[in-house]
Amino acid sequence: MGKVVRKLKDHYQTSLVIFLFFVAWQLGVMFFKIPEFILPSPLAALDHLLFKQPDANYNWPLQIGTTLYEVIVSFCATSVIGIALAIVIAWSRTIHDLTLPLFIFVNSLPIIALAPIILLWFGYGILTNVLIAFLVSFFPIIINTATGLNAVDEDLLDLVRYLHASKWQIFFKIRLPNSLPYLFSGLKICSTMCVVGAIVGEFIASDRGLGYIIINSQYTMDTPPIFGALIVVSIIGVALFEVVSLLERLLMPWHRPESSPG
Amino acid sequence: MNAFLKKHYKKAITLLGFLLLWQLVVTVFQMKVFILPSPLTVFAHLFAPEIATKYHWLNHIRTTLGEMVVSFSVTALLGVGVAVAITWSRFLRGIIMPIIALFNSLPKIALAPLFLLWFGFGMLPNIMIAVLIGFFPVVINTAAGLNAVEEDLLDLVRYLHASTFQVFLKIRLPNSLPYIFSGFKISATLCVVGAIVGEFIASTQGLGYLIKSSQGTMDTPPMFASLILISALGLSFFGMISLIERWVMPWQGTK
Repeated sequence: MGKVVRKLKDHYQTSLVIFLFFVAWQLGVMFFKIPEFILPSPLAALDHLLFKQPDANYNWPLQIGTTLYEVIVSFCATSVIGIALAIVIAWSRTIHDLTLPLFIFVNSLPIIALAPIILLWFGYGILTNVLIAFLVSFFPIIINTATGLNAVDEDLLDLVRYLHASKWQIFFKIRLPNSLPYLFSGLKICSTMCVVGAIVGEFIASDRGLGYIIINSQYTMDTPPIFGALIVVSIIGVALFEVVSLLERLLMPWHRPESSPG
Repeated sequence: MNAFLKKHYKKAITLLGFLLLWQLVVTVFQMKVFILPSPLTVFAHLFAPEIATKYHWLNHIRTTLGEMVVSFSVTALLGVGVAVAITWSRFLRGIIMPIIALFNSLPKIALAPLFLLWFGFGMLPNIMIAVLIGFFPVVINTAAGLNAVEEDLLDLVRYLHASTFQVFLKIRLPNSLPYIFSGFKISATLCVVGAIVGEFIASTQGLGYLIKSSQGTMDTPPMFASLILISALGLSFFGMISLIERWVMPWQGTK
């Protein structure tokens, strides 16, 4: 009970500080009469997001839908393909030893630098952005899952081998449950990276989506939509992260997850 | 050196095999250069004097390297400083932590065009973008490390009348070093990413700019050459931090 109260108090304090941050921002903009093309007030951004008549450029449902679609498709593709490949890798010790170091190596490279090459190959459009988001988020999930599948207590494996467990049984009853914490921490990284990939993709290769709005409004120095788009992008990122956390809690009630994105 | 070779020869063989396969695919299927250049073509663009001079590699490398080094230094100093401040003072922690949590959950790279708007073209916005992306892992890791001290140990030294300052310098700081360095390593990669994305959208120089502008002219060899250079820069940066880590913490086993 005391724990719950303390948690509520922490949440209350955090929300209060964040709220005060936005109030200070609003007052600062009003008080110092900061020109809108430098920094709009939070209310101006919200106003633009919620109440402006949509013209062709700021058709918010279309832009939000595009980015959301890219994020969701790339996230699903990364998780399914990443986990499947991780299982293949973990199945054989030789493949594991040969490929995992390479994946770790590639993961340490700035993969986002590939974006213009993807653009060159696949042209402008949603597919390119999905592919960029996929590439950026693919390696963390594969590395985490493969590591988790192999991070099994050797003694336990010896024991069940002694009890004549088949490879399948070992996989489903020991390796897979054991890998879940790793898998979910990979999925969490992936949920943030997919948003980053989609946005950077839209920066350089798109004519729609929230990233496009941000970059396009920068050209015209129209800052309220930039902040409006930032708000929505953040909500998408946090929401995806929370969905993964929820799944984690459902699938692993015995495990206490870390609770902040990033 | 021998141990180093032993540890990395598998990686080297796989990498070499990959390059060989790439070269073969391009040669056998006679792929057009504007779709996929062969590794040999790419290396020619980097090293053959008559082609390489066209791209002014040294200028671009200098710009990107400068952005990386400056942004990482700022990130490291500022990140550790803020982490120490919020560990030191409850009041500051109450104010700064929620705002850090707020920003950390944002896809920070989306702020890049804003920095361009505020700071204009050039190296400065790219450095700021890289700092913004690399900053949070350092703060969060360092703060975690400074707080991950055994309570018993703290009780013991308090009993021995250690001052807060002594506790900090002799217990908290050494204890947090592994955390700090793992934060530095994450941040090193992120600084490279930040600098490159910054150059994509706001630059007339640097390897990121070269990739983006070559994409416009469908000139693929310099794109791949830049990728190789960026990777090499990032890896050597990472390697240097690992070296410093081993030097600062000789008691930690090498991973």
